[in-house]
Amino acid sequence: MSGLELIALTPVLILALGATVLLMTGAWFRQPTPLVAAGVIVALAAAVTALVLVPPVPEVGGLFATNAYGRFFTALWAWIALLVLLLSERYIREHLLPPGEYVSLVLFAAAGMSLLSSATSLIGIFLGLEAFTLALYILIASNRRSDLAAEAGLKYLVLGAVATGFLAFGIALIYAGSGSFHLPEALQGLQTTGTLRPWGLLGWGMLLVAIGFKISLVPFHFWTPDVYQGAPTPVVGLLATGSKGAVVAALIGLFASGASGWQEMTSLLWMLSALTMLAGALCALVQTDIKRLLAYSSVVHMGTVLIGLIGQTKDGLAAATFYTVVYALASLGCFAVIASLAQGDDEPATIEQWRGLGFRHPLRGGVLAVLLLSLAGMPPTAGFMAKLSIFHAAIQADLVGLALIGILASLISFAFYLKVIIAMFMADETAAPRHPGTQSEHLVLMVCTAAVLLFGVLPGLLFDLIGSILS
Amino acid sequence: MTLSAFLAQIPWLSLLIILPLTGALLCMLCDPRERTSRWLALVTTHLILAIAIGLFLLQGQVSPENGWLWYEDAAWIERFGIRFTLAMDGISLLLVLLTAFLQTVAVLMSWQTERHPSMFFALVLLLEAGIMGIFLAVDLVLFYMFWEIMIIPMFFLIGIWGHARRRYAALKFFLYTLAGSLTMLIALIALYLLHGEQTGSYTFALAELAQTQLTAGQEFWLFLGFMAAFAVKTPLVPFHTWLPDAHTEAPIAGTIDLTGLLLKTGVYGMIRVAFPLFPAATRDALPVLAFLALVGIFHAAWSAYRQDDVKRLFAYASISHLGLVVLGLAAWQTTAWTGSLLLLPAHGITTGGLFVIIAMIRRRTDTRSMRELGGLWGKAPNLSAMFLLFALASLGLPGLANFAGEILVLLGTFQTQPVWACLAFLGVVFAAAYMLRMVQNTLWGPPADDREIADLTPREWLILLPMAILTVWLGLYPAPFLAPLQEPVQLLLGGMP
Repeated sequence: MSGLELIALTPVLILALGATVLLMTGAWFRQPTPLVAAGVIVALAAAVTALVLVPPVPEVGGLFATNAYGRFFTALWAWIALLVLLLSERYIREHLLPPGEYVSLVLFAAAGMSLLSSATSLIGIFLGLEAFTLALYILIASNRRSDLAAEAGLKYLVLGAVATGFLAFGIALIYAGSGSFHLPEALQGLQTTGTLRPWGLLGWGMLLVAIGFKISLVPFHFWTPDVYQGAPTPVVGLLATGSKGAVVAALIGLFASGASGWQEMTSLLWMLSALTMLAGALCALVQTDIKRLLAYSSVVHMGTVLIGLIGQTKDGLAAATFYTVVYALASLGCFAVIASLAQGDDEPATIEQWRGLGFRHPLRGGVLAVLLLSLAGMPPTAGFMAKLSIFHAAIQADLVGLALIGILASLISFAFYLKVIIAMFMADETAAPRHPGTQSEHLVLMVCTAAVLLFGVLPGLLFDLIGSILS
Repeated sequence: MTLSAFLAQIPWLSLLIILPLTGALLCMLCDPRERTSRWLALVTTHLILAIAIGLFLLQGQVSPENGWLWYEDAAWIERFGIRFTLAMDGISLLLVLLTAFLQTVAVLMSWQTERHPSMFFALVLLLEAGIMGIFLAVDLVLFYMFWEIMIIPMFFLIGIWGHARRRYAALKFFLYTLAGSLTMLIALIALYLLHGEQTGSYTFALAELAQTQLTAGQEFWLFLGFMAAFAVKTPLVPFHTWLPDAHTEAPIAGTIDLTGLLLKTGVYGMIRVAFPLFPAATRDALPVLAFLALVGIFHAAWSAYRQDDVKRLFAYASISHLGLVVLGLAAWQTTAWTGSLLLLPAHGITTGGLFVIIAMIRRRTDTRSMRELGGLWGKAPNLSAMFLLFALASLGLPGLANFAGEILVLLGTFQTQPVWACLAFLGVVFAAAYMLRMVQNTLWGPPADDREIADLTPREWLILLPMAILTVWLGLYPAPFLAPLQEPVQLLLGGMP
């Protein structure tokens, strides 16, 4: 690896090296607040570097692109890591977690997500995916006194291992079928007819299964509600936004490389998307735990993002990117509200516990209502613009049937998001006061809400940026 | 600079939306326990009323632009060709005026709100912004956004400040309206893409989309998509079942807004959006529309007759009246249209008045049941007189508000479809039946108990007098309100006599 390539990789190196330094420091220095602050600075430095850096080479090691697309997502995941760290500070203190390890794991995860989002090779995808999954295995189970967290960690580990198996085997088959790991070639190799073609297709199918596990497409979604429910809330924030978003970003990258090999997969993706949206929405309807509800909500959203990809149009990919960013912001904000209301292991979990909270804590109740309405796709929030652009892309690509299924899922989604809002604001009783929330938690809330409203009223800002990074 | 040039430069239409939004924001910043927010809401709604009256008086004075009385246009989301375009013609002018007026009534009627007053008034103002937006937007996405934004404050108003079954009613209202509007979303995106493919210009401007060449099949499905949203809101039978629940459970401000304004957005959507965009499909659908309207008139009148809860009775009466409005539209004739459009403000004020009075009675007696009321005339003559006035206006007594509109609808309909008109006339007789029965059971007869009932307070006079004056005015001399309707009706009917 040449020096120029190292320079091109600076943002990720900042994350990874910063994480290493903090891990070492954490061995003898165990004050949570300074370590979290240091982590925040590292993440901020990485985000800023990713935005201002002019990479000297287009690709690093034949594995990772350094184009605007990759750097945009690197900056985004660094930002998400920053927000998650701000959210974790009180959690680390209250649960006496080792701060150095926690902070460095979050930063490592962000580095892995950045690598995955900018991968140009199947090997790059594998490395990035495994890097952040490994960090998440530990983070999910980090609250060692909680049985639910242990269960969640184990579930994520076992199913993650299965997904890894599918991924590795799939990549091997693709390589056998196409003779290349590198992305445009690996996909184009599929187009040439030959005896190995079915094996290549099978490989892509297996890759899809692995991705399905990671972004919890139905029927690979069963781990999602349990892990969401058991894992520490700030970690779920990272899991729901960064880890899913990074995989979607990689998918968008795959489609954007203009590979027509996916056409073979279109009907499969169509069914996956329809099934995911409908099953996710219906399952969410009967949930009584808010984190499980948000888990199924994320299932529905991932199904909806797929709509934008299937059409393989430029507008569709831009819509999917917009959707991913907006979904990440809104859903992180929701977990921030939950985390800020928690004290120790006492967290408002069931819908019952949310009754009357809206007027007891009007600011956070209002913020959660806005964010849930954004997830539901209500104007004037960014969620509406995301929905509009996805359905626009769907109809443009003649996927009217899928759009109608999406509308149906969206209608069902409203019912369960409103369930939370009704509990918060329309209950007869007033809830007992919860934790007032720290300043850093409020900062996270405000950043997410402001972004959701800003991109809802002026979506052009984000669309222009996305348009320029996709071209 | 002359005065008119100066006036033309002020973005009045945007102000009609920005003012309530600002008011809502300020209300939210108020101390949630204090009642300062109600003064804020009062001032804001009156400012808006002043602007609306000003626009009414100034119509035609300031040189009209491209056929509109007032017009504003700004770039917004260029990627999709979405523009921030507001426009006002005679129809929207009347409806804006009605909105501004009823909103002051809503604020005054909610003066004593004890629970979370600042949030309450913020939501009332937010609702006003949404409704104003619907009546003014001529860009489809903008229209759609206001259409959905309006649902949220209404949902909270019903769900937080409503009566016993409020959560159920709020959710039902939300999901019904949303189901309609989501189909509209798909249809409007499809229309946008078809238009873009034909002309190369991707835009959501209503006037341009109306030029799209559509096959009969496309037109039919798209028309259906749009009408789903409008039929739920109007409401047309059989999409009306959300309405009695929402009306009955909502607090008084919510009921006034629901009946006076939200129902009007459905009718407005038909004439502003669905009919001009799909003229051929509209012509084919007119008999179906008329049939649904007639069924609505009779079904709702019959349901109203069987109610014991007076508020629920008025809710059904609203459905019946709106049926008559839609029938007038289906007649596709100038006189009938003018009548329908005049009925909108008339119905808003008379039915609004009825809901206001039943709220006042409930505050005094704690009941809305006809069985438990009775003999009110002897106890509170002024209140009862007002009640009688609005009830008579609502059943279409000549000389009061609804009469002018109803007679125009019936006359106009008779010219093109005599059978429909005769049937509708029967419906009007039905209205007399349920209204008079209600009046008989509440105002006259033996008093239900010997409790004293206070007569109208000064604030209640202040609320009711303007409504009463307008009721008589609209009945005796509707000309000033008919004048602005002439031109737009001609335009929308495509030069029909």
